[in-house]
Amino acid sequence: MNTRTHSPLVLAAALLLSLSSTAQAAGSHGGGHGASAFGQPAEASAASRTITVTMRDNLFEPESIAVKAGETVRFVLRNEGDFVHEFNIGTAAMHAAHQEEMQMMVEHGVLEPDRINRDRMKMDMGGGKTMQHDDPNSVLLEPGKTGEIVWTFTKATDLEFACNVPGHYDAGMVGKLSIKPKSS
Amino acid sequence: MRGSTRTAAVAAALMLTATLPAQAEMLDDAMFTSVRLDRLEYRVGDGSNVAAWDAEAWIGGDYWKLALESEGEYATRPGTFETLENQLVVRRLVSDFFDAKAGIRVDTPAGPDRVYGVIGFQGLAPQWLEVEGDLFLSQKGDLSSRFSAEYDILLTNRLILQPVAEINMAFSDDREIGQGQGITDVEAGLRLSYDLVDRTVAPYIGVHWERKLGETARIARDEGDDTDAVRAVAGVRLLF
Amino acid sequence: MATIVVMAAAFAVAAPARAATYDITIGRITVNHSGTPKSAIAYNGQTPGPTLRFKEGEDVTINVTNTLDESTSIHWHGLILPFRQDGVPGITYDGIAPGETFTYRFPIVQSGTYWFHSHSGMQEQDGAYGSIVIDAADREPFKYDREYVVLLSDSHDHSGDRILANLKKKSDYYNRQQRTVGDFLRDVGENGLSATLRERADWGEMRMMATDIADVQGYTFLVNGKNADDNWTGRFEPGERVRLRFINASAMTYFDVRIPGLDLLVVQADGNNVQPVKVEEFRIGVSETYDVIVRPTESRAYTIFAESMARTGFVRATLAPGADLQAEIPVQRRPPLLTMADMGMDHGSMAGMDHSGMAGMDHSKMAGSGQGSMAGMDHSKMAMGDKPDAFYAPGSGLAPTAAAGGKFLSYADLRAQKPLYPDREATREIELRLTGNMERYFWSINGVKYSDAEPIRLKYGERVRFKFVNETMMTHPMHLHGMWSILDTGKGKWDPVKHTVSVAPGTTLYTETEVDAPGQWAFHCHLMYHMATGMFRKVIVEGGPQSAALSD
Repeated sequence: MNTRTHSPLVLAAALLLSLSSTAQAAGSHGGGHGASAFGQPAEASAASRTITVTMRDNLFEPESIAVKAGETVRFVLRNEGDFVHEFNIGTAAMHAAHQEEMQMMVEHGVLEPDRINRDRMKMDMGGGKTMQHDDPNSVLLEPGKTGEIVWTFTKATDLEFACNVPGHYDAGMVGKLSIKPKSS
Repeated sequence: MRGSTRTAAVAAALMLTATLPAQAEMLDDAMFTSVRLDRLEYRVGDGSNVAAWDAEAWIGGDYWKLALESEGEYATRPGTFETLENQLVVRRLVSDFFDAKAGIRVDTPAGPDRVYGVIGFQGLAPQWLEVEGDLFLSQKGDLSSRFSAEYDILLTNRLILQPVAEINMAFSDDREIGQGQGITDVEAGLRLSYDLVDRTVAPYIGVHWERKLGETARIARDEGDDTDAVRAVAGVRLLF
Repeated sequence: MATIVVMAAAFAVAAPARAATYDITIGRITVNHSGTPKSAIAYNGQTPGPTLRFKEGEDVTINVTNTLDESTSIHWHGLILPFRQDGVPGITYDGIAPGETFTYRFPIVQSGTYWFHSHSGMQEQDGAYGSIVIDAADREPFKYDREYVVLLSDSHDHSGDRILANLKKKSDYYNRQQRTVGDFLRDVGENGLSATLRERADWGEMRMMATDIADVQGYTFLVNGKNADDNWTGRFEPGERVRLRFINASAMTYFDVRIPGLDLLVVQADGNNVQPVKVEEFRIGVSETYDVIVRPTESRAYTIFAESMARTGFVRATLAPGADLQAEIPVQRRPPLLTMADMGMDHGSMAGMDHSGMAGMDHSKMAGSGQGSMAGMDHSKMAMGDKPDAFYAPGSGLAPTAAAGGKFLSYADLRAQKPLYPDREATREIELRLTGNMERYFWSINGVKYSDAEPIRLKYGERVRFKFVNETMMTHPMHLHGMWSILDTGKGKWDPVKHTVSVAPGTTLYTETEVDAPGQWAFHCHLMYHMATGMFRKVIVEGGPQSAALSD
């Protein structure tokens, strides 16, 4: 019953797009912009280990994760809450920017408290912009759904994994993701 | 089984009624009181100096009130009450802003006394005019009326300029008390008050003008009295 | 009968809960909030009374001893309990006589922030209130590192009885915000003579005042019993999440609350969690509660600033990382002015609260409504906060705007975190017109005062829809005891669940109530002097479990 939110192909394509195009559609959110600074999506087969993260209202279990630079990790995400939640890898600043985009999604009826309106998501918001939520470092899940991200961390840094659905981050739905140097 | 359920229900209902308070203790039909001296003042100017008051006290609720209204003017020379009037009236709220009233008025100034039956109204007219109108029928059968209006001009929220005007009319002569048919007299005043203590104590200064008219003025002149007077006033408004 | 009692006993044995006992003594103390000492009513020697900390699922026993020379009572505001424990003299019991101890016993079936207060006479105005915090049995949907109760109240040098008596003598006794000759001249200068005369004539025709927003003024506003000078202070470590449990225990005062420099994450309203929403500022009606979480990251003091809605005054408190620190106190904004919209003069667009119809509202009129501080506001920052609040009449002078141009919380932003009831069609609608006589100072529902009115009869198990039509120029916080009010914000199952709903002038608002509590209950405007003078109904719930009706 696992729902793969993103096929690796789409993820790769999206990443390519975000790398190659500086004029990324504003409506589609650019949370992925900075993601390449610390890593890139990978094939599941490349993962050295799997970390399961459970999403509840409004928190993650576990609340902190440590990985090593160079490691490829498969994150399996289960939404066991009653609300839509996101798992997004990034810096605090990236999350803050992404929260504004998700606020727009709420205001345009794309994101409802307990469901994602996928028809609206694809709707043209004007100027060819849509509200697709398709960044490779993020997965958005309805209640009861499961998704995954496979990510290769390239350098040591401190990140956060967060849910940027409006209000959730501030309510505490954010965890520490520390990427240790290779040597340690 | 069914019987016992019914018994339980009845018992429950009985208990409910037996132990519930009989009457809510609410203030919404409570009685209140008010004592108010709109004017308590000394007038200096034309003719004799005058001490005067205009007061009311009431007790009652939102719809019905029993009120005692009193006004008088005491001339320091020769030391007599030019007017001395007391009314006992029942007021009934008849619209959002108006009371109707009915009762009795007893005048006991220097000179002959009079007792009147009173009906009237008082309240707040559009554009913030406090108005009052009365119809009086004396024990001698003479009909007269009075209309007054006042208005508050807020210079500040405490410094208030208040113009007032009053007009009296008689529908027949009552020469004993110096009253001629027609408009008998008019009064006007302008008072500047300051709310010193909440709305309880407000001292004021101002000017008061009064004039007898028509037949009433002729009677006054015949008796050697003045028919008009302008006086400076100083006084205090009180509300308890 | 015997069967029922046995069953009840069996139930009690079957579900052993934690039990806790509390003792409260009510007496008089002398306080000095304004510079003038006065007599106040205190719980355990203090006002506000102590915070009662309950745990969801426990059974509480509260012994309340009355040492006053008058009857008293305690009502547990917002708590769901058997009606005989609700503490309303004349409706649920006889009150607590002088010298008597009354023992309340009830289970705690909810969690969140609530409060308690006297329901006798004007005692609440005189200090008889305190806070209740109920810890949730389950993990809450938000995190915080520390928490404070922030109880707002209004203290007057006059006793409640005296205030009421004075309002009956002169309904504008306490209104010192009436428009003056100076205001007239200023308006002539700004708007021209004819426009100003016309505007004054419109109000004069109705014998209403555009500045009549707070019936009673002259208050000293308090946070946790401290005035702005005494500056109640809560400590924090930078980076911590601090939960502030705001309670408006005022007799008559609405507050607009903000903490300059911090976003406020609203997580709870009236004790029920809401989906977290971030705002700059919120308005708290009398008797409402809001829980907000703030996360101060800088090591400096922040001012909690609460202005009365009528801008008759303010109180500040402080969040600080150390002792004796304080932040700047903002300048108070200019008083708002009511508009003809608040007088219900533009009913057309209000019918059924057509949210969409509000888009065409003339914003320029809002700016002219005496809110001087709006002039320099950065409209670009308003983003979605730009939409006028649908819970005010279109063009209302009361519709709030956040001080720094951010988001001001609206009822429309409140979404239940966990709906308490399945969403279903109401069985019937009851219309409650909020009415009153401003000039003679008495208030009513459907034009009838409490003493002259028949109780509202509800049937156990029904879902009733209340239609509140505010025909007055005041804002009324309507509080139903014993049962929840589901506020219709058009969000279906996410409609927030409250114990008090504020009905702005010139508006119509709907709530729905699942009638699940037998007995008889109070239903009233929570403005003290509106309640006391008749804006009050008894609600009788007919039917339902007998054990509940009989329990004490």
